Amino acid sequence: MSDFSEELIRSKTEDDQEESCVFSGTGMYFPWLQKHIDAVATEGKKEKDFAQTTSACLGFIREALLKHRWQEAAGYMHSYLQVLEDSDSQKRLGAPEIIWKLGSEILFYHPKSNMETFNTFADRMKNMGVMNYLKISLQHALYLMHHGMLEEANRNLSRAETWRYGEKSSSQEVLINLIQAYKGLLQYYTWSKKKMELSNLDKDDYAYNTASRTMLNHSWKTSVNLGALIQTPGVWDPFVKSYVEMLEFCGDQDGAREVLNNYAYDEKFPSNPNAHVYLYNFLKREKAPREKLISVLKILYQIVPSHKLMLEFHRLLRKSEKEDHHKLGLEVLFGVLDFAGCTKNITAWKYLAKYLRQMLMGDHLAWVQEEWNSRKNWWPRFHFSSFWAKSDWQEDKPLACEKALVAGMLLGKGRGFVFFLCRHGLWAILRLRSRTKRTWSSAQGHGVLERELVNGRCIELRPGICW
Amino acid sequence: MDFPSSLPPTLFRTGPLGLSNGPDLSSTCSWRDALALPEPLAQSYQKGVSCVATAPLWEPETPGPIPLLPPGPDPWDPGVTAQDLLFRGGVSFRRKPQAVLDVTEQLSRFLWDHGDVAFAPLGKLMLENFRLEGARSLSKTKTVVSVKSLLQDLGGHQPWGCPWASLSFRQRRFSILGGPVLGTSVAGILGELLHEELALRWEQLLLDDAFTGGAMAWVPGRAPREGQLVFPAGGALDKLCFQQVIVSPSGDPRTLGDPGHIWLRGPVRQVVTRTVQGESLLAVRSDYHCALWKVSKQGRPVPLQVLQVGKGATGISLSPHLPGELAVCSRSGTVCLWTPQDGLQQIYKDPETLVFRDPSPWRWADFTAHPRVLTVGDRTGVKIVDTQGPPGCGLLLFRGGAEAACQKGERVLLAQCLGGCGPEPLHPTLHLILTQFSLYLVDERLPLVPLLKWEHELPSAPLFAQLLPPARPGHARPLLLGAQGGDLRLLQLAGAGTSAPRLAGPPQSLPSSSDSLSAFPLLEPKSQWRLQERLKAPTIGLVATVPSSTSTPALLLFQLSAAGDVFHQCLRLQEDPGPDSRAPTASWSPQATARCGHWLKGLLEVPSPPPVWTAPAFSHRRVLGCVEQRQGEQRGLEGLRAAMAEGRLLLRRDLGAVPSAEPPPAPEPGPEDELRARLEAAWEGRAAAWWERQQGGSSGPGRRPKRPKRRTQLSSTFSSLSGRLDPSDATSPPPSPRRASPEAGSQAPVTPPPQKLTQEPWAQRVPSERRQTLRDYMAKLPLQADTPGGVSSPLSQASSVQATPSGQQALQEGSAKQPIRRHTLGGAAVASSQASSGRATPSGSQPPRKRPRMGF
Repeated sequence: MSDFSEELIRSKTEDDQEESCVFSGTGMYFPWLQKHIDAVATEGKKEKDFAQTTSACLGFIREALLKHRWQEAAGYMHSYLQVLEDSDSQKRLGAPEIIWKLGSEILFYHPKSNMETFNTFADRMKNMGVMNYLKISLQHALYLMHHGMLEEANRNLSRAETWRYGEKSSSQEVLINLIQAYKGLLQYYTWSKKKMELSNLDKDDYAYNTASRTMLNHSWKTSVNLGALIQTPGVWDPFVKSYVEMLEFCGDQDGAREVLNNYAYDEKFPSNPNAHVYLYNFLKREKAPREKLISVLKILYQIVPSHKLMLEFHRLLRKSEKEDHHKLGLEVLFGVLDFAGCTKNITAWKYLAKYLRQMLMGDHLAWVQEEWNSRKNWWPRFHFSSFWAKSDWQEDKPLACEKALVAGMLLGKGRGFVFFLCRHGLWAILRLRSRTKRTWSSAQGHGVLERELVNGRCIELRPGICW
Repeated sequence: MDFPSSLPPTLFRTGPLGLSNGPDLSSTCSWRDALALPEPLAQSYQKGVSCVATAPLWEPETPGPIPLLPPGPDPWDPGVTAQDLLFRGGVSFRRKPQAVLDVTEQLSRFLWDHGDVAFAPLGKLMLENFRLEGARSLSKTKTVVSVKSLLQDLGGHQPWGCPWASLSFRQRRFSILGGPVLGTSVAGILGELLHEELALRWEQLLLDDAFTGGAMAWVPGRAPREGQLVFPAGGALDKLCFQQVIVSPSGDPRTLGDPGHIWLRGPVRQVVTRTVQGESLLAVRSDYHCALWKVSKQGRPVPLQVLQVGKGATGISLSPHLPGELAVCSRSGTVCLWTPQDGLQQIYKDPETLVFRDPSPWRWADFTAHPRVLTVGDRTGVKIVDTQGPPGCGLLLFRGGAEAACQKGERVLLAQCLGGCGPEPLHPTLHLILTQFSLYLVDERLPLVPLLKWEHELPSAPLFAQLLPPARPGHARPLLLGAQGGDLRLLQLAGAGTSAPRLAGPPQSLPSSSDSLSAFPLLEPKSQWRLQERLKAPTIGLVATVPSSTSTPALLLFQLSAAGDVFHQCLRLQEDPGPDSRAPTASWSPQATARCGHWLKGLLEVPSPPPVWTAPAFSHRRVLGCVEQRQGEQRGLEGLRAAMAEGRLLLRRDLGAVPSAEPPPAPEPGPEDELRARLEAAWEGRAAAWWERQQGGSSGPGRRPKRPKRRTQLSSTFSSLSGRLDPSDATSPPPSPRRASPEAGSQAPVTPPPQKLTQEPWAQRVPSERRQTLRDYMAKLPLQADTPGGVSSPLSQASSVQATPSGQQALQEGSAKQPIRRHTLGGAAVASSQASSGRATPSGSQPPRKRPRMGF
């Protein structure tokens, strides 16, 4: 026998769609096409009165919801329930989903609604037709969790977990996996609570042993619950995180590594930066060799060059013995500072200033040049404009100084940024003098960067004070 | 930059659109989003903190937006509507309704209205086979047909559609022989073109993407509570206006002086402003041009550069990172980076769409958190393109498909980067994608997987969006969505730093301009209708600002309509919405009503738009009318010459029938005519004027007997058709006997007079709604037709084929329309009065735009 519920779901959704939004000719659906057609059609068979009133009522509910008139919406909802008696079977079958969606929203926000009302409503809706049981159970559990009723939520999820209708279909399977995963998450919460209690106990205590045994027991159960879902492609950050934590606690390092590797490197999964972050953190906890850490962060660098961990990545690369890692370290720093959200990251600027100096002293001009070539036509306007000089100077003087160091090395002092600072903040430049002068003169010695570096106007203007 | 440490759980599936196999987790409920993150749950439930309580409510101050500026002097017409394009008759209700373009009616209309255009080329080809004057000539090589006899047989009306028309043998033969030739050429060439045009108009009516992004912008001024609104005005939207606006400490905007303006050479479609590194820039997109201005500190625009886009520009955006950098997209699928110093740099070119095939040439581009990386979008998806990388490569940011759980037929309408707004951006990497069904938030660091999805349920295309800075630090950020139909949605986005973006509180719908109707006094039906149409005009621009240092946090919203009206509304932050408080209903303040009243006064002073459509003229009658005219002129000329030769005074009789200047005396208005006049005045929207006149003394010296209006004539015609005609009116001889030629008198009318028609049994058989059509049609029929004058010169024929002088044409149209009156009231004066009014409405109750129906 074919899967009846699946068939029902499919036929219903397709029909729903074609009813509410109509094909135009280019393949695009317009939800507002029906309005135009209704305005034109003067003759012909119209919708029945019943259908007209229910669709009008639905419109009123939606409007009231968007205007935050919960009482009014509840009133309309009361009338809308008549749709459950629609003689049109397709509408009747689609109705529970709409009622659940709107009704739960009303009850969630309604000032006079309480948890009992919501629970009663959810329980009724679950048993209205067979298709919505799992979905509603899951959302009901989320609602309970949100209100702190973890026990109740767990009971709900357990009930839903064992529910079956017909043959197991793919959509049902995903939902059941999800329900189990949420159940696992709830178990994780109790587990972490127990762990907290355990950390307060003495290790030689008898209670400690029993407690740890129960914990192991718990984690075993949870792994069954979480394991299935995280094999399915998706973003499962909270589940993976808690699962790995529990595996690690039980000493199953290999299992945890496998889960994380799978989560990060499986091609069926979306390229989730957090997957690599979790893997990196795990390896760090495990005290993995530097090479290993670098290889993980290298991938993260390719996905998100602006990530917070990139500075850590730079530190790792700097410490590495390999030549190409040093080059990559420079690339990473430039990459971080390319992004609009990182322009005020003083650590990055500090690192760059220090590293540039190191590079220039260490005869790696070509590397700097390579990085600079793709940026020289926009970095000056992006980072070193006189506007930024002024505002950085007013808002964050250390940042302005670090930027000035970099600007001096890359552009020379004669231009915008450094020039401005020379005029406005001489004391700071003086304070930095020892460091700056050496760096700049080393840059000049190699003649790296397009312009005169040291013999800027700044010196000509205030030779005595500045230098 | 922080990346959310834990993302909301999402199922990831690949596949085409509308893959409904599996649960859609992202958009099941709006409240679900409030509890999406189970991780901080452990802490939050212990504290008992609910996310909902912190969601502030923006409460509209008035029930609808208020006009900011007086209405422009140009009349506005709503243009084509669905009624004009779609097939009207007998659409049965279906589960899957279909739009059927009414090509047949449009084609027949076109043939009626512009027969000369449709048939002239053929006519020219067949010219040598037809003789326009005299009898049929005999030629041995070819047959030559005399048109005169054909026209005579036609008797001044078209037999098509009229079951009582008798076809002469000649006509029958002509139509059988000529039909295929005429039919195929016209239907084949014209029908195709017409269908194409109708389809285009229909698509445009469903979705007009020209104004995507919005044609209004706000340039902040030097003081925190002042700024400039930049928007197009004028009938053609080619006048770029700069209106100074000052916001009072209580949050009310006030305009300062008249707007400054710049005339452009094309309609303004999009206006973008941005202040980057203290420099305010203004970019404008027209159909084929883009222009860039720099706005000085004093608020004066300084032109920088203009760009011509050959294929047509579809989108323009200003960089939030580097001053003076723009991205421009063209219909050809090209996206260019444009800087006034360095010129254009092509960064992407692909005439095909990104994900799957879609015929729309619409392209869009915006910047990302990286100044050298852009997003390129079309209807099917959005791609991230590195301008420094090799051409053609990139990563899909959004895909119309199962990844985002898109529905079947879902298309991208707008893609916008939400970064670069305010001092502390939400996530500079966040992008907003709007489709006709949903809103998606996608992070460019996690492409393809939407972090948030919400079904907006807007009843028209959402083409405008703006993320605003939070009213107070730590509050959620308002995100404003605007649709073409004027509907607005306000969402609040929370989550910054390491928490994923989520909706804070339930989304709101804001009042649209049609909600303002209640602020206006009740008007006469015609003015009321006009006001309604005006308020319903599509929105073409939307901009909002959160002015700082107001007493309570306020959100000012300006809306520009296609009619050129700028409306504004003010939203206030409701302090601590308690659990029991419900959204209070706003009411109209006296100032708001006064402003609306003032605006309405201005609107009613604006003349009504000229009719889009003028009444048809029968092309052969046009010829004949022309002949007559010439004839009259000629007689005058001859008389003049004769008088000159004889050296005597030119007398009136020498000129023949000169149209009399004075209108024929109308019957003295009786008491029931007063009622009629009042009703008439009310229809014309001048009831107040009528009353004043009435009050000011009805026997004033300036008061002249009112000439019966055209509308009254028509309505009396119709009432007569329903059987109340004064018999003397129809049977009395024409008052200007000189004008009726003996030939005309001898010619018997082919169709019986109207009052007889109604008494015939067919009138009862015709369905009532069609009876009106029939009456309209009858009103068009020249019942006592003038026949062609004895001579019809080929010269006049030629002139009608090419072009008729407009004045003459109008005159002829008038005369063609009203043959009955012409005879009863002595024609020329009436005809000229019709020509001056320039429009004929078959029945007074119909809106003027509606075309009279002539066929069946």
